[in-house]
Amino acid sequence: MGDVPAGHENLATAPESSAPPAPTRRASRSGDRQGWASCALAAAGFVVCLVGWLQGGASSDWPWMPSLDLRLSFALDGLGALYALLATGIGVLVFAYGTAYLSLHLAHQERATAERWRFWPWMALFAAAMVGLATAQDLVLLFLFFDVTAVCSYFLIGFDRDEQQAHRAALMALLVTVVSAVALLIAAVLLYAEYGTFSIPELVDRVDSGTTTTVAAALLAVAGLGKSAQVPLHFWLPRAMAAPTPVSAYLHSAAMVAAGVLLLGRVHPLLARSDAVLTGLLVVGTASIVVGGVLALSQDVLKQVLAYSTISQYGYVVVLYGIGGATASGAAAFYVLAHGIAKSALFMTAGAVTMATGQDRLSRLGGLGRRSPLLAAAAGVAAANLAGLPLTAGFFKDELFFEAAHGAGSVTTVIAVLAAGLTLAYIGRFWMLLFLGRPRTDPSPVPRLLTAPITVLAVASVLVGVVPQLFAGLAADAGSVTNAAPVDVSPGYHLDARPANLMALSAWALGVLVLVFPGTARAGSLALARAGDRIGPQRIYTRLLRASFRLSGALHAREVLDLRSSVAAVLVPAGLLMALAFAATPTVGAYAVGSPAGSDWLILPLLGLVLVAACVTARAGTRLGMVLALSVVGFALAAVYALNSAPDVALVAVVVETMITLVFLAALARLPRAASAARPGHLHVDVGAEAPLRGARWRNPLAAGVAGLAALAGIWGFLSEPDVTPGLAEELIRRTPEAHGQDVVTVTITDFRGLDTLAEITVLLIAVVGVATLVRKGRLW
Amino acid sequence: MSRPYVVAQVVARLLWGPSVVVAISLIVKGYTDVGDGFAAGVVVALGLALFYVALGASAAELALPFLRYAPRLMITGLLLCLGTGFFPLLSGEPIFSHLPEPGAHVATVGSLELFTPLLFDLGLFLLVVGVLTVLLHQLAGLKGVAEDLAVPPVDDAPTGGRRP
Repeated sequence: MGDVPAGHENLATAPESSAPPAPTRRASRSGDRQGWASCALAAAGFVVCLVGWLQGGASSDWPWMPSLDLRLSFALDGLGALYALLATGIGVLVFAYGTAYLSLHLAHQERATAERWRFWPWMALFAAAMVGLATAQDLVLLFLFFDVTAVCSYFLIGFDRDEQQAHRAALMALLVTVVSAVALLIAAVLLYAEYGTFSIPELVDRVDSGTTTTVAAALLAVAGLGKSAQVPLHFWLPRAMAAPTPVSAYLHSAAMVAAGVLLLGRVHPLLARSDAVLTGLLVVGTASIVVGGVLALSQDVLKQVLAYSTISQYGYVVVLYGIGGATASGAAAFYVLAHGIAKSALFMTAGAVTMATGQDRLSRLGGLGRRSPLLAAAAGVAAANLAGLPLTAGFFKDELFFEAAHGAGSVTTVIAVLAAGLTLAYIGRFWMLLFLGRPRTDPSPVPRLLTAPITVLAVASVLVGVVPQLFAGLAADAGSVTNAAPVDVSPGYHLDARPANLMALSAWALGVLVLVFPGTARAGSLALARAGDRIGPQRIYTRLLRASFRLSGALHAREVLDLRSSVAAVLVPAGLLMALAFAATPTVGAYAVGSPAGSDWLILPLLGLVLVAACVTARAGTRLGMVLALSVVGFALAAVYALNSAPDVALVAVVVETMITLVFLAALARLPRAASAARPGHLHVDVGAEAPLRGARWRNPLAAGVAGLAALAGIWGFLSEPDVTPGLAEELIRRTPEAHGQDVVTVTITDFRGLDTLAEITVLLIAVVGVATLVRKGRLW
Repeated sequence: MSRPYVVAQVVARLLWGPSVVVAISLIVKGYTDVGDGFAAGVVVALGLALFYVALGASAAELALPFLRYAPRLMITGLLLCLGTGFFPLLSGEPIFSHLPEPGAHVATVGSLELFTPLLFDLGLFLLVVGVLTVLLHQLAGLKGVAEDLAVPPVDDAPTGGRRP
C-alpha cells in the first residue's frame, strides 16, 4: 500500500518537473512566428527602401481630404531613405534579438506567452510609422505619424503592466512627446494660413523670413526637441527605460528619438529662415550634451547610462542643425546613422548582460569579458563607435562633427571637444565596469540570438570605419535635403595636423583624464543630478500633472454631485456659448415682434399653460406630480402644433407623449422609494435638496435662467429671420404628387428623406437594446 | 400600478381591437391623409400599454401570448425597411428610388396605393410596435417593484417565452 502513493507521487511530479520547459519551447516556437513575421516585414521594408533609394528615389501623391487641402504625399528622398533604412535595418536586428529576449523576459516574469500579442503588433506598427514619418512630405502627415509613434511607444514602454513604474514612464513619454507634437500642428496651421499649403517642399520654396516664420519655426523645433528628448524635455527618456530592452534598443536609439531630429532635418530650410531659432537650437543642443553627458557619468543602472548618453548624442545633432550649412547638414545625417548603429548595439548588450546575470547595475557587474569574449568585443566596438575611436564609423561622425563645429567658431569648437571627451569618458566607464575587473557574478550562457545582432552591428561599424564611403553617399543625399542645396560628405583618414584631428586628440585626452579621476567626475555628476531633482523640469511636469488631476477631479466631483448638476453641466456651457454668439452678432433688426392674429389667440393661452406646467414640474414635490405636469407640457405643445396646421406632427406628438408618460411612470415605479417621507401613493422626489453645496438654492434657478434665456434668444432670432431656403418646402410639396402621394409628411418620411428615417429607426432599435442591456443584461425578452 | 382594476381591464380588452383598426387606417390613408407607419405603430403600442397597466405585466403577456415575438417583429421591420431602401442598388439606381416610378400607374385598392413606400411604411410600423413592446416588457417588467425581486425565477415561467 505504501508503494502506491509513492508511485502516484512520482507519476505526479515527473510531468510537473518536465512541464515548464515543454510549454516554453512550444511557446517560443509559436512566439517566434510573430517576432519573425515582424522581422521579415522590416527586412522587406529595408530591401524596398534600399532598392528605391539606389534607383534615385520615388514619390507618390494622393489626395486625402481635398476640402482641407490635405494630401498623402510621400517621397523617398535622401533624408527619407536614411531614416527609413535606419529604422528598418536596425528593426530587423532588434526584432530578431527580441524574439529571443521576449521569451526569456516573459518566462522570467511568469507571464503567458500570449502577451506577445501586446508587443509585436506595436513594434511592427512602429516600424511602419517610422518609414511613413521618414518619407512624409506634408506637415499634417508628419504630425499624424509623430503621434502614431508616440502611441506605439506608450504601449511598448508600458508592456510590463504589473509595474507601476512602467505605467508612469509610459504616460510621461506619451504626454511629453504628444503635447510637444501639438506645437507641430500649430506650426502647420500657422504656415498654412500664411502660405496656403501643408506641403514641405512648397513651403521651403515660398517661405520668407518674418514673425510668422519665426514662430512657426520655433514651434517646429519644440516638437522635434521634445521627441528627441532634448533639455528641458529630456526627463521622459531615462524613465522610459522601464520598457523591455528591445524597445529601448529600437525606440530609444534609432527610431522614436531619431524622429525628432528627423523633423528638424526635414524642415531645416524653414528653421534656417530665423537666426533666433538656430541660436536656440545651439543652446538647447549644448545643454543636452552637457546634461546628458555629465549625468551619464554617475549612473549605475546600465540602461540609464545609455539613456543619458542618447540625450547627449542627439544634442550633437541638434548643435549641428543649429550651426546649419552644408558641412553641418551632412555631418548631422552621418551622425544619426553612426549613432543609431552604436547605440542599439549597446542597448542590446545591456539586455543580454541582464538576461545572463540577472543584474542591471554596473556596481554589481564586472569581469564579464572573460566569460563572454565575443560579447565583450562586439560591445567594445560599439562603445568605440560611440566614442569616435579610429577604425569605426564613429570616428568619421566625430570628424565631420569637429569640422562643422570648427567652421562655426571657437565656442562651438570648445563645445565639440567637451562633448566628445564626455562621451569617451562615460562610455569607457560603462564598458570597463562591465567587462573588465574581477568577475562578480556567475553568468549563465547568453543565447546566441542575443549576441548575433550586436556582432552584426559591430561588424557594420568596423566596415564603415574602413570604407566610410558606404555611409557617405546616403549622408550626402540626406544632408542635401536638410540644406536645400547639394552637400558633399567625404570622410576619410588624414594623418596631418588638421583641426579636426587635433580636436579629436584633445577630446580623447580629456576623456581619459575624466576616466583617470572617476571620483571628481562622479561628484560633479551627482551634484548636477541632485540639482536637477530639486529644480528640474521633471518636477514641473509632476506638479502640472497633479494640478490637472486635481482640477479635473474637482470638476468631475461637482458635475456628478447630483442629476441637476449633470444637467447644468450641459446647459450652462451651451447657454454661455449662446450668450457669446449673442454678444458677437449684431442684434439690430434681428429680433422682430409680430402681432397676433387668428388662431394665435388660441395658441397664446396654450403657451401660458405650458409655462404654468413647466413651473409646476420644477416645483413638484412628488414624482407622479412631476410626470403629469411634464405631460401637460407635451400635450399643450401638441395642441399648438395642431393649431399651426401641422396635423401630422400633432398626431405623433400626442401618441408619443402618451407613451412617454406611461414609460416614465413604469420607470419611476422601479425606482426605490426614498427612505424619508414616503407617503403611500406619493413617491418622494429628491429635488437636489440634499446637495451639500453652498448656494445650491440659487444654482438651479441660475442654471435654468442662463439656459432658458439663451434658448429664447436663439429661437427668437431664428424665427425673426426670413427663411433662408424658401424653396425647399415648396419643392417637397410640388414633388409630392409625383411620388403618388398627397400627404407631404408621409412622402417625405418614406421617400424623400427615407435614408434619414432609416437611420432614426435604427437608433430606436439600438436604444431598446441598450435598455435591455441595462435592465436585463441584454435579454430582449 | 401592478394592481389590477376591473374597469381598466375591460377597457383595455375593448380598446385593443379598435386601436389596431385605427392603426391600419392610419397606414392605409397614410398617403392621402394625416398619419403614417410611425404613428400607427405607437397607437398599437398604446393599446398594448393599456394591457400592461391594467393587467400587470405577466397577465398581459399571458392574455396576448404573441407579444413574445416582439423582438422578431422589430428586427423584421428593420430588415423590411433596409430591403425597401436598398433594393434599387440591385438595378444600379440610387437608394430609396421607389417603384413604380414617378408618373407611372399605381394600382390601388380603395385609397390604399400598392407601391414600395408602403412596404417601407409597414417596416416602420412593425419596428415601432416591436421596439415599444420590448420597452414596455423591460420597464413594466417582470422584476418591476419589490415583490417581483423576491421571486426572480417566476419571471419567465408563465410566459414561457423563447429566448431570442
